[in-house]
Amino acid sequence: MNGVQDSTSAAASSQSAQRQVRVQLVSKQEDIALPESTGPILVPTGLRRYALSTLVNNLLGNDKPVPFEFLINGAFLRTSIDEYLTANGISAETTLEIEYIRALIPPLHIASFEHDDWVGSVDVLSATSPATSWASAVVSPGQERILSGSYDGLLRVWNMSSQIVATSPSPADGGHGASIKAAKFVSPNTIVSAGLDRTVRLWKYNESDDGFSGKITPQIELYGHKSGINSLAVHAPSNRILSASADHNIGFWSTKKSDAPAAPENLVPSAASRSSKRRKVSSSVSTPQRGPLALLSSHTAPVSAAIFDTNDSTVGYSTSWDHSLRTWDLVTAALVDTRSTSHSLLSLEHLPEHHLLATGTSARHITLIDPRTSATTISAMTLRGHTNAVVSLSRDPHSSYGLISGSHDGTCRIWDIRATKTDKDGVVGESVYSITRRSLEEQGKADAKRVGGEGVKVFSVCWDRSVGIVSAGEDKRIQINRGEGVLSSA
Amino acid sequence: MSAAKVSKKRKAVTKDVEEEAGVFSGDELNVGDIDGALSDDANDLSSDEEDSEVELVDDFSSDEDDDEEELDSDEIPSDGEAPLKKKSGTSAADLEVPTNDDESSSEEEQPNFRIEKDANGNDRYVYDEINPDDNSDYSDVEENANTIGNIPLSFYDQYPHIGYDINGKKIMRPATGEALDALLDSIEIPKGFTGLTDPSTGKPLELSQDELELLRKVQMNEIPEEGYNPYEPLMEWFSNKQEIMPLSAAPEPKRRFVPSKHEAKRVMKIVKAIREGRILPYKPPSEEKEEDLELINYDLWADEAERPDHPMHVPAPKLPPPGYEESYHPPPEYLPDNKERKAWQEADPEDRDREFLPTDFGSLRKVPGYGEFVKEKFERCLDLYLAPRVRRSKLNIDPESLLPKLPSPEELKPFPSVCATVFRGHKGRVRSLAVDPTGVWLATGGDDGTVRVWELLTGRQLYSVKVGEEDPVNVVRWRPSKDAVVLAAAAGDDIYLIVPPILDPELEQASLDLLDAGWGYAASKPAPKASEEGKKTTPPQWVRPSAALADNGVCAVIPLRYVAKSISWHRRGDYFVAVCPGSSTPASMAIAIHTLSKHLTQYPFSRRIKGGGPPQTAHFHPSKPILFVANQRTVRAYDLSRQLLVKIIQPGARWISSFDIHPTSSTASGGDNLIVGSYDRRLLWHDLELSQRPYKTLRYHRKAIRAVKFHPSGRYPLFADASDDGSLQIFHGSVTGDMLSNASIVPLKVLKGHKITGELGVMDLDWHPREAWCVSAGADGTCRLWM
Repeated sequence: MNGVQDSTSAAASSQSAQRQVRVQLVSKQEDIALPESTGPILVPTGLRRYALSTLVNNLLGNDKPVPFEFLINGAFLRTSIDEYLTANGISAETTLEIEYIRALIPPLHIASFEHDDWVGSVDVLSATSPATSWASAVVSPGQERILSGSYDGLLRVWNMSSQIVATSPSPADGGHGASIKAAKFVSPNTIVSAGLDRTVRLWKYNESDDGFSGKITPQIELYGHKSGINSLAVHAPSNRILSASADHNIGFWSTKKSDAPAAPENLVPSAASRSSKRRKVSSSVSTPQRGPLALLSSHTAPVSAAIFDTNDSTVGYSTSWDHSLRTWDLVTAALVDTRSTSHSLLSLEHLPEHHLLATGTSARHITLIDPRTSATTISAMTLRGHTNAVVSLSRDPHSSYGLISGSHDGTCRIWDIRATKTDKDGVVGESVYSITRRSLEEQGKADAKRVGGEGVKVFSVCWDRSVGIVSAGEDKRIQINRGEGVLSSA
Repeated sequence: MSAAKVSKKRKAVTKDVEEEAGVFSGDELNVGDIDGALSDDANDLSSDEEDSEVELVDDFSSDEDDDEEELDSDEIPSDGEAPLKKKSGTSAADLEVPTNDDESSSEEEQPNFRIEKDANGNDRYVYDEINPDDNSDYSDVEENANTIGNIPLSFYDQYPHIGYDINGKKIMRPATGEALDALLDSIEIPKGFTGLTDPSTGKPLELSQDELELLRKVQMNEIPEEGYNPYEPLMEWFSNKQEIMPLSAAPEPKRRFVPSKHEAKRVMKIVKAIREGRILPYKPPSEEKEEDLELINYDLWADEAERPDHPMHVPAPKLPPPGYEESYHPPPEYLPDNKERKAWQEADPEDRDREFLPTDFGSLRKVPGYGEFVKEKFERCLDLYLAPRVRRSKLNIDPESLLPKLPSPEELKPFPSVCATVFRGHKGRVRSLAVDPTGVWLATGGDDGTVRVWELLTGRQLYSVKVGEEDPVNVVRWRPSKDAVVLAAAAGDDIYLIVPPILDPELEQASLDLLDAGWGYAASKPAPKASEEGKKTTPPQWVRPSAALADNGVCAVIPLRYVAKSISWHRRGDYFVAVCPGSSTPASMAIAIHTLSKHLTQYPFSRRIKGGGPPQTAHFHPSKPILFVANQRTVRAYDLSRQLLVKIIQPGARWISSFDIHPTSSTASGGDNLIVGSYDRRLLWHDLELSQRPYKTLRYHRKAIRAVKFHPSGRYPLFADASDDGSLQIFHGSVTGDMLSNASIVPLKVLKGHKITGELGVMDLDWHPREAWCVSAGADGTCRLWM
């Protein structure tokens, strides 16, 4: 590789011995920034990323070379500088400003936590997770917790050494009566979960002092949805929860018992109903039952995801199978805006720095939508690469440009919205890395193509700064991946 | 002769002119003079005119006055010609015999010559031979006429004779009676006495009565001619009346021509333009003359023989001598380079400009034999036999253009293209499946006797109930309404109505209430008599399920006594039709319509449908009260309200497996459209407005087609078929609103994935109610979601 690179660069330098370009190398990260005195450097235009990376490493005097990526005008350099200049019609006379950042290192598999059933949802409690920061609590390194909601109706809290710290009670003791499809930490001591039993449940999570055992006790049962709940969003400072349900409604809930109205009678399973006769749901534990603050109904198909605006908790966004993305004013529970696409939307994530909403579609791609009314086009960019529906999205905690997606094709893909290529449909994003399921590799079928991601579908993905990428899926596992080295130094 | 007079004369008819010619003949000499003068004049004028035409270019306006004059003078020469023509005739006529005029004119009419063509083709005048007969002039001369000629008689005053006769004898002066005669004469003056002596005879000249009369008339200023009426009635030649025929056939004389000033100006413009060079007056002769097809060129030298040299003989042109190119050793510049050589070789023999390719052989002995010799001889033989050789006509048709213009599948997105979810759980074949009206659940039924309900997107099994102990579940269908969720499943001889326990309490209660309502209705009816109980055609009573099934969500069981293989709900969800296609089923019980609200089963058909074997499947029309029933070969439409057979559709298939009715049929957009799938591998599209025969036949599958289905929403114009070859095919079939255009059908996608198990591939398929997603049930025990 090195030899090839050298020979090509030598050839390039001999070919364009006269052609040199003045570049100014800058970095926004202080630990890898060049000293201020470093002026523009004259480099041959034949250089590529690898040669530039070597150059920067030399300038920094690193003993251990750090791979860098280079950005010119906000786009990754994927060709030689010469080709870039030609393609963009930039004169070689000008001083080129090149920003360099650490290259992402392929995330390595750290651990897998095995479950009894499919894992529908996953969340992380760490020093950097939102639940911790909202509660201004301290989670010491090594004491991170991972929450998983499984299709067997149980919530589990794991520590980082793949031990179950706590498990939620069974249906008989006030647990979920059906599969859990969404679970989240509201605070280090509060958990919210929802699933196909149409309820949102708030749990109290207590941990013993040694941190090896804990207890999840039901706190409130929230009734209001008439069909399964697909996703939850939490905003702890305002004590609000958003839920997206297949009954075409979005639930808006309070986490406080006192705030919430009474539960609607007809939706609470009563002793008279057939199901209660059949299964002894009426448990020994009696949990307070509450109703929604508001049900936002405007979608015409199952709602797949609902989130709070990252900056403004009174604004909510929702996506639905009816192809639309809707903006809500949560204070008045009013519909503000509707953006229609051409596919069913299955997941949603907010990228506040770019005023974009990333939404995963059933058509196997991620669409970036600008929700502001001033935006002229519905779709700002499309990220293509998945081979099945994209059902989960999470922000990169390190970069405002990064994004991870979990898909039914059994992979998680890391995206950088600056990494683009020009396709026949315009500018299309490419994934930076793809994380496959460890379970496939263990079975020795890593290369085997699973039709429709059968058995390895990813249902949920969460990217935490300290824990890494946590994903859960049909293979009954939570899988943790981390780009070792780079992330620790960052 | 003034111009005015002449002009007046010209205007008169030609007849007049002839008469006037007689007057002219009186002074022949004058005519000649005038003629000469006028002809000179005319020459001058014509030359003048030429000048003026040239001058026209320079000063046209100044020329106008001259033109006026020329107009006047121009009339004269044409006038002068008329008397000249008459001259031959009039000169022959005698001066003193006016009556001869007629004769002379008749003479003029019959010319004394014939016109013949001479060798050169010119006119030749052949005159008659003069015959000296009695009518000749010589015989006319009197015997004793004086021959002295035209001299005064006074020359003979001193002689006794006054001249000589033709024989030379003296003609003696007649005796002058002198006194006596004078006396007698004075006494008796004879009539016509003039006192003059006739010079030719010497006798006293006596005038005849007629001559006297003539003289008298001259004296009296009367018109001398006899019978001339000076007061003839006026013929108005020129009047305000427009005559149909022109007075004269004579061409319009040039003098009438009044040059147009406007045209002159335009001409001036053009002339000016030519002078300045803006217009090129002469087109350079075009190089290539277009070949005139009608022009026949004769080969003058076709049979040229050797002839002695003669100025009048033009010999045939000789062929050009062979050039350097024909040489066996041409100079290098005549040798073709590789490109030319290749072009020559690739060209068609007819298109080559030369029949040979210049080749360098170095020396004459190296020249090979003529390669085309045998071929040419053969061609020659064919020519002699008159053997027709087929004229090669190039077919320049682009095969692409012959294909019908189909829109590319890319433009017709969305349609299902990849497998998104595999539903695994059934043991044995999955026989039937259906997506519920909300599009969240999928119900399946299979050979293991279970009915299962799955979460559509993830493939999670939510519910399962084993309804058939031994028998497979043949068909599952959701009730097509959202107010209650009911799943109908046929297993063995029974149909089970299931409310799966996956619903919220409210909806579940509504569904249970809907199914329970019928129990009371059924109970209120009189129970069937014992005698009727035994009869096979009695409609079955709905029964409650066993406790185990009831716990699993089964609410009602309809014991049909025969195996139902097809269930189809009415759009409103109160009725469904079940078909038992088994050959052992009595004809009257093969088709049963079940009413949910009354727990009632009816058999609408008492007899077997004629022709085509037992009924296979049946569907309700989406909007009209029409039931479509398919047996093996035909599809029949029955109007349920009027109890009538409305239509018979003959797809031409040998064994119909399934059919579906377009969801927008008979609504806003046109007529009914139907797709029919058959076990003999055909998919047939019927437009019921067009014909009872298929509008289109699609044969794309290698094995039997088991299921066909339109997309139910009408939002996507899609339909699909499932076949035993393990594949599904997705088609775009848009039905247009107007009746003018037919449906356009575009094959979109073949979905492969199901394994063929025991000769069976895909057993059933269904569409998602809103999205362009479809699900398929495979004989390999899996179901697949395609999106």
